[in-house]
Amino acid sequence: MELGIQPDYMKVLKLDDEECRRRLEFFELTDEDFQRLTSLRSFAERWTQEITEGLYELIMKHAESRSFFPDDATLTRVKRLQNAYFLHLFSGTYDLNYLRDRLRVGSAHERIGMPPKLYLGAYRRYLALIHEKLRNHFKGNEAEAVKAIETIRKIIFFDMALAIDTYIAAYLETMTRHQAAIRELSTPVIKVYDRILLLPIVGTVDTQRANQIMETVLVQVVEQQAKVIIIDIAGVPVVDTKVADHILQTTAAVRLLGAQTVLTGISASVARTVVQLGVELTQVDTRAKLSEGIELALSLVGKKISSKSKSGVENED
Amino acid sequence: MPSGTIPILKIGSTLLATIQIDLHDTVVDAFQNDVLEEIEKTAASGLIIDISALEAVDSYVARMLANTGKMAKLMGAETVIVGMRPAVAATLVRMGYFMSGIRTALSLQEGLEIQDNRSKDRNAE
Repeated sequence: MELGIQPDYMKVLKLDDEECRRRLEFFELTDEDFQRLTSLRSFAERWTQEITEGLYELIMKHAESRSFFPDDATLTRVKRLQNAYFLHLFSGTYDLNYLRDRLRVGSAHERIGMPPKLYLGAYRRYLALIHEKLRNHFKGNEAEAVKAIETIRKIIFFDMALAIDTYIAAYLETMTRHQAAIRELSTPVIKVYDRILLLPIVGTVDTQRANQIMETVLVQVVEQQAKVIIIDIAGVPVVDTKVADHILQTTAAVRLLGAQTVLTGISASVARTVVQLGVELTQVDTRAKLSEGIELALSLVGKKISSKSKSGVENED
Repeated sequence: MPSGTIPILKIGSTLLATIQIDLHDTVVDAFQNDVLEEIEKTAASGLIIDISALEAVDSYVARMLANTGKMAKLMGAETVIVGMRPAVAATLVRMGYFMSGIRTALSLQEGLEIQDNRSKDRNAE
């Protein structure tokens, strides 16, 4: 049932033997726990069906969680998987294969869009069911029951941590992909006229984006042999010292190539902050409006916009 | 002692130096000498340094090039550096080296036009 290409979460989460050992140590899972889990195997086999039923009773009672199991076939299948999962808890070996299996469970939940609240909520019921069975199992031996419950709690929290890590890794992966897409869209260099380029910047400019802007601008200037590049910052919400510095650097680099920068879209508030921050933008040609910037750019390449003599009135005389 | 590693050609009243090899410190020192001696010898009024073949320029080379330009200017020759690559420009600026006071142009063609206009202006005076 693996669909599509899944990222290798073992790699993403840097899960190796060493990390596995560290995790087990942090959850205080010791050989004693492993032995206890192995010895509870027959208990697990005896009660797994009933515990799974109890878990799905909760899940099917609520519309939100029920919606993930649309038909009986799915339900039968996930119950079977749940039993396998439960028995695996008592396998006695908690190595990289075990981790891999747990990550698969986590990523399966993430993939179907099951929110962590449902995942963790259902786990709470699951633990309660296991505790109840354990207490019956160790009837009359309270001390042993407490120890068994503690061991189970450790291994289940160990599992939950892996599942939650997978959730987060999956979200991060999506975010990284989106960021890459945004980056690609974020520096559209437009040719407005022969040898004049325009770069409208919309949104926040951080160092990474600033570097990318500079790179794109420089490459485009050389590629298109542009004399002037207009950078319009009307869409940049905040222009602080850092942003101003990035703009200055880009301007200087453009000059080194042998071209010029015209900075437009400077609003009253940007002008105010820039001066109040003590940033020197005086070496750059600036204009308030893009239209003025285009006029300036044209004049720099020796062109001029002029009004047409009143159209249609040529034959008036 | 002209080293001759970087050829310096004369076109009209302009000298053209095309740098085709990596500029090590010794090469750039020799280049500066050659250029200044050529200006003295030919009384050129313009200098074009074409660095379009350079993939990397460190701060020493950048400073030497800019200084060569300033020295040439003292001797009456306007310098234009042409064809700087995007990566080179980005590196220089990030190092805080803006080469202020030195003219630049996108291509050799434009560098020649700038020199041409300059000599016309000078003749008009």
